[in-house]
Amino acid sequence: MRHMFNEGTSIDDLKEFMAPFVARLGYKFNTETEFVDEVLESELEILAQTGDIYCPCRIRSEDPKEDLKIVCPCIPFYRDEFAAIKKCWCGLFILNEVEDGEELLGVIETPEGSVDVPVFLANDLPEGQIRHVKVGKKDIAIAHVGDEFFALSNVCRHAFGPLGEGFMEEHVVICPWHGWRYDVRDGTTDHPNADVKTYPVAVRDGEVFVSVEVKPSY
Amino acid sequence: MQVRLFALSTCPYCRMTKKYLDQLGIEYEFTEVDTLEGDERTTAIDEVQRLSGGKSFPVVVLDDEVIVGFNKKRMKELLEG
Repeated sequence: MRHMFNEGTSIDDLKEFMAPFVARLGYKFNTETEFVDEVLESELEILAQTGDIYCPCRIRSEDPKEDLKIVCPCIPFYRDEFAAIKKCWCGLFILNEVEDGEELLGVIETPEGSVDVPVFLANDLPEGQIRHVKVGKKDIAIAHVGDEFFALSNVCRHAFGPLGEGFMEEHVVICPWHGWRYDVRDGTTDHPNADVKTYPVAVRDGEVFVSVEVKPSY
Repeated sequence: MQVRLFALSTCPYCRMTKKYLDQLGIEYEFTEVDTLEGDERTTAIDEVQRLSGGKSFPVVVLDDEVIVGFNKKRMKELLEG
């Protein structure tokens, strides 16, 4: 399966590979096409030197595990911070909702506070199912019930089971480990002092957003 | 004012920052971290982490102020005092 990137990989190949994937994360290529080509050209140089498409704006640590976090696109690792500045660190990708990417070139300081983070397309989570998403350092489970989406902590308060792998019964998620039950609307459970946190969710233009507090980390 | 620029050879914002400082005609110390090797590279990366708290570029140091990224407005404010 090592045929995706090789000596003949071109800017257009990278675009073709990345565009459909980042669209599902809520992003698109910057509207500044010359800038996009400049960044991708740098990525191709890095590919030739190192064998992978590392971020051209960050230094590799030489620790292969750590460096996997800056292989482009790195959006999933920083999705809360990037949603706050409406672009990835380089500005190669911008949020789908941004019409003109030019004003986002250069650095915009990350505002602190709550931000709507795109997590996936509404069509990617069928009705009656729940899924885990990582948003910054938070583990969140998002459930699709009827025509609504709900977000709550992914971590069961009993034995830290993954609620995102749980079973749905209408508005209740059942923890897959020991059957603890949580209402996805408010995070409540029958067990005392064991409710979980919930997060506001919005659906816009077919994208699901979860609202979280952001603190910049870079 | 003592000005330092830590950059990567591959990074578009680093090029923009360098161009901007060059246009202003000010003197600055320039370190291209990814083209360094061995101890020099390690020392430079440690310095960037100490100054900026991360490994993102460019990092501009204006006396005791540290700017991460190409932030023309902030650089202008500090340079014009």
